[in-house]
Amino acid sequence: MGEVDLNIAVAGIPINNPVWTASGCCNYGRELGTLYPLRELGAIVVKGTSLDPWEGNPGRRVAETPSGMLNAIGLQNPGVEHLLRVELPWLEQQGATVVVNVVGHTVAEYVAVIQRLAEAGPTSVAAIELNISCPNVREGGIEFGRDPSAAAEVTRAAARVTPWPLFVKLSPNVSDIIPFARAVAEAGADALTLINTLVGMDIDLASGRPVLGNTTGGLSGPAILPVALRMVWDVTHAVRIPVVGVGGIRSGDDAVRFLLAGAQAVQVGTAIFQDPWAPIRIRDGIEAYLRAHGHRSLRSLVDAVRHRLDG
Amino acid sequence: MDQNGLWRCEDAAVVSQQKSGPDWYRLTLRAPAIAPLVQAGQFVQVRVHPDGWIGSDPLLRRPLSVCTVHQDELTLIYRVVGRGSFILSQRQAGEGINLLGPLGRPFPLTAAEQCPLFLVGGGLGIPPLALAAKQTPGRRRTAILGARSKSYLAGAEEVAATGIPVLVITEDGSSGSTGRVTDLLAKHLGPGDQVWACGPDAMLMAVSALCDRTQASCWLSIERPMACGFGVCIGCTVARQRGGFAKTCVDGPVFRSTEVNLLG
Ligand SMILES: Cc1cc2nc3c(=O)[nH]c(=O)nc-3n(C[C@H](O)[C@H](O)[C@H](O)COP(=O)(O)OP(=O)(O)OC[C@H]3O[C@@H](n4cnc5c(N)ncnc54)[C@H](O)[C@@H]3O)c2cc1C
Ligand SMILES: Cc1cc2nc3c(=O)[nH]c(=O)nc-3n(C[C@H](O)[C@H](O)[C@H](O)COP(=O)(O)O)c2cc1C
Ligand code: FES
Repeated sequence: MGEVDLNIAVAGIPINNPVWTASGCCNYGRELGTLYPLRELGAIVVKGTSLDPWEGNPGRRVAETPSGMLNAIGLQNPGVEHLLRVELPWLEQQGATVVVNVVGHTVAEYVAVIQRLAEAGPTSVAAIELNISCPNVREGGIEFGRDPSAAAEVTRAAARVTPWPLFVKLSPNVSDIIPFARAVAEAGADALTLINTLVGMDIDLASGRPVLGNTTGGLSGPAILPVALRMVWDVTHAVRIPVVGVGGIRSGDDAVRFLLAGAQAVQVGTAIFQDPWAPIRIRDGIEAYLRAHGHRSLRSLVDAVRHRLDG
Repeated sequence: MDQNGLWRCEDAAVVSQQKSGPDWYRLTLRAPAIAPLVQAGQFVQVRVHPDGWIGSDPLLRRPLSVCTVHQDELTLIYRVVGRGSFILSQRQAGEGINLLGPLGRPFPLTAAEQCPLFLVGGGLGIPPLALAAKQTPGRRRTAILGARSKSYLAGAEEVAATGIPVLVITEDGSSGSTGRVTDLLAKHLGPGDQVWACGPDAMLMAVSALCDRTQASCWLSIERPMACGFGVCIGCTVARQRGGFAKTCVDGPVFRSTEVNLLG
């Protein structure tokens, strides 16, 4: 039996397989790059990148929860100049397909990061992912993520300046995600990534105080998979632009569920912490599923699902 | 990551596991890919369920320092404090446990200093000092080990087995003298000496303050909650004295005391 073809184009970016690493869960790829070639990843979504360096949150930043974890990193990152000068040249040498996750406090900051990238024109960058949904930075992206018209405004401004396809990463911390998906699609997003983490917290029994320095944090891992899957399902039934599914994926079967819900690719985050090879395993698991179900290519499954959604 | 060299993932076989104190265990694993690479102060990220387990809880690995290495075997000494360490304590000889490691920046083993070196450990900070003693054969070393009471001196046997002089102190006087490690250290430490310390933050801060007063140089091995353990999540930070944050898992766990602010 022949090879299963995992190539697919999402919003015009050709990728060799549908498994990407999620932003904030693979840094800039150097650590995973010591274990396997980064070309093995469909794409690598780098840590949220701001105009100037962000220091991140003080105090405890991570806590394990049942089948999941909370994080309140606060988007610590060395800024766009560091990305351009140090990380992107290295990623280019590795032959990696890079998606730059962009954060800002204001629309102008989002725009400035993208303009700076566009000016430098690094060839390794394949797409921009706007993070309008981080729950851990008070005046940060979340404000855009909680109001459809603000989400549309930052999307419109970013779409105007980006030379690359624009992905917008939505927050699950809203009562109805569909108005957000529609608003950013109309404002010029080429694709959607969903979901970011769900706001949660833990309390320490000994001190009686919140465990995390930031009080609340973002919940990720297997615990959020059903929520993410439901949101992908809702959104693929409501908008036509491609969707990348993320949330709790740790096996090929998990990933296939997202593809069956209408996603064209998936991102893997928290699973990497337990198993740095998770993205590779998940890719191989998708391939095994496709083979077992008589698909010669990923495209054939994605088209079949699209047909069902359109029908 | 690159600065710390090689790390591996390996299904290690449990050689033995014994309850060795009121709440602590000695776990010896056959880990031929990892054991020979370990430098004192480095740790492994341990999956607490046996190989083949596909459940999702607990989700994260647990960081544990390597206590001793003998050829292709390594020994971990750990305290049961929560569900992860409890599940680990159920593992039996013959089972497989997945390890990632060795991880982190070790003690400054290759430094050419000739000054006296004090290895100072409190409670579950003692185990990594056994490997530190073993891997510094050329140096004049003294171990100062402390705990609440005798039965909590986890790893003290392993340190003593290296043959270096060991001074013991317990809070209740059940072994050695009565008091805390800094009481003993204050009696022996001189200007220009060097200290490598591992233990709870309060102890590390007291040791570091004593070193400052005495003009001794000081290295601390610290613990912070971790998600990945290999540098990708930025979850394990400790404040740097010059501002910003360091990652405990790759920039540490061993830091120069002047580099970090444990209260930050
Ligand atoms: C570099 C390093 C080396 C360590 N070496 C040793 C050792 O040699 N022996 C030993 O007994 N302990 C050691 N610890 C502490 C050990 O990792 C924790 O006791 C253990 O993770 C507790 O897990 P649990 O599920 O039983 O506890 P829980 O409290 O249920 O754990 C919940 C979460 O908090 C984390 N956590 C809890 N306590 C600590 C802690 N003190 N430090 C870091 N994370 C923690 C856990 O990893 C887990 O993610 C080390 C920690 C670090 C960071
Ligand atoms: C430690 C950590 C850091 C993260 N940092 C970012 C970030 O910088 N930008 C972003 O858009 N999402 C960030 N995320 C969210 C993930 O990219 C992902 O959307 C989420 O964790 C759900 O997927 P998972 O369950 O596979 O982890 C972060 C998640 C974690 C756990
Ligand atoms: S534990 Fe993830 S960066 Fe240190």
